[in-house]
Amino acid sequence: MAAKQGAAATTYSPKIMARTRPPIFKGSDLDWTRPDGRGFHQCRPALLQTGAVSAASGSAYAEFGNTKVIVSVFGPRESKKATSYSDVGRLNCNVSYTNFASPTLGSQGTDHKEYSSMLHKALEGVIMMETFPKTTVDVFALVLESGGSDLPVVISCAGLALADAGIMMYDLITAVSVSCIGKSLMIDPVTEEEGCEDGSFMMTCMPSRSEITQLTITGEWTTPNINEAMQLCVDACSKLGEIMRDCLKQAASASDE
Amino acid sequence: MALVDSSQDLSAEMEVDAFRRLFPLRFFERHLSESLRPDGRPLGKARDTIVNLGLVSSADGSALAKIGSTTMIAAIRMEVMTPSLDSPDEGCIAVEFHMPPICSPTVRPGRPADEAPVISKRLSDIISSCDMIDLKELCLVSGKAAWMGYLDIYCLDADGALFDAALLSAVAAFSNLQIPVVALNDNGRIVAINGGQEENASIREKEAVNKEKRKLTLKNIPFSLTCILHKKYILADPTAEEESIMDTLVTVVLDSSDQIVSFNKSGGNALAGSSAIKSCVELAKKRGKELKEILGEMDID
Repeated sequence: MAAKQGAAATTYSPKIMARTRPPIFKGSDLDWTRPDGRGFHQCRPALLQTGAVSAASGSAYAEFGNTKVIVSVFGPRESKKATSYSDVGRLNCNVSYTNFASPTLGSQGTDHKEYSSMLHKALEGVIMMETFPKTTVDVFALVLESGGSDLPVVISCAGLALADAGIMMYDLITAVSVSCIGKSLMIDPVTEEEGCEDGSFMMTCMPSRSEITQLTITGEWTTPNINEAMQLCVDACSKLGEIMRDCLKQAASASDE
Repeated sequence: MALVDSSQDLSAEMEVDAFRRLFPLRFFERHLSESLRPDGRPLGKARDTIVNLGLVSSADGSALAKIGSTTMIAAIRMEVMTPSLDSPDEGCIAVEFHMPPICSPTVRPGRPADEAPVISKRLSDIISSCDMIDLKELCLVSGKAAWMGYLDIYCLDADGALFDAALLSAVAAFSNLQIPVVALNDNGRIVAINGGQEENASIREKEAVNKEKRKLTLKNIPFSLTCILHKKYILADPTAEEESIMDTLVTVVLDSSDQIVSFNKSGGNALAGSSAIKSCVELAKKRGKELKEILGEMDID
């Protein structure tokens, strides 16, 4: 292992990373097709599956294009010894990346602190914490491959895993992001699009209750654009919610047989 | 009447479950005396095994191996390094085994699992010692540039026999490895030639350094089997539950010609007699044949 660490600093990837912004966005936005050939308001095909990890109380695997994520839920189980008494349950979230998750990341694949806390904040509004007092629910996510819109996929997958674990929730949780590039809005952006975006918009909502648990807007946005993005996300979330519901129903009927 | 029956069934089932939790050792010994295991396997039989290749598009070679519910994903990324002075025409392979918190309730974030570095070391020892890969094949420009293969294995679901599954996924990932075609550019750096990118057009005209060496030849493929020794019984391919109850594990690694590459018995209560060791090796030979068939099917397509 010592040899590896010594060598790690001196290796480099032969692949050349294109870090330039495509010039197409100047005037004729409409001629632009997205890298994967989707329409601007079209999400990637989603593959969802529950019960990916047998050792966990609940788990789910989500694949949106090249973004591949596994989420395991453990508990409710005993809280850590050091924590004080609490009437309501605790939620503990962690998001980590594999070393091969993205070609640019190199071997830095480790814990992602920012996403961990974002995931926690997105989920705490949906889970009925009072149903498991004194105990902790752990939600751990591993991004196997990062292909863009990682956080929304992690959040949606976590919602599915929580439902699979039988943790009480007010509703399923779904998340979708939108990128603003020039004048156009693109839903469910891939890595290349995220790399050259002017602004990003991510919404986490409960589709049946039409309530938003988390909304982050960064970068350059005009008010009409925000309204449009909001509408896009609400629609996409409700569709994703239905797909997740179907997935859970299928899993339930399969286990009945 | 039917209702009474079903409630009796249920209570009987609950009793069995309670017995299993309260007296796990006795529960298992009762099964063993019938030459059967709780999951319905005979003692010497390994669980169903699946291998899938090329799932990770961001890596140069990858494989997923599943033994029962134990799941491993292995991926290799090729990077360029300057070879050391002692071996100017050899590349290098760095193996790392990870147990992320998703794989088991015992692993918590921020605290790596105890087993992970142990398995990591054993894997890299076996891969380097069993002559599977000729490091000379990883040479690009003698003394100047060679490949460094980063092999990362992630455990996605831990249900016993982690080492076997990890080694299987590693071998499969090597068989899936596609080395990128590269050329030496003006600055003395190695760059990839991937067709279609304009910025590489000037490089493409030059000769690729490694036109033929796109695949590694795997000379010798190691296969492993972990067994539990418990009293007079030998259980092949244990689950996590079995590993937690009976603690004497024996791992046999054999190569393609059934030579022993590694034999590991890391302590434990039971002492292994020579006959037990012989039967472990026998079981490993049988398992090696099974695994060869599974990998053989993969190579065809």
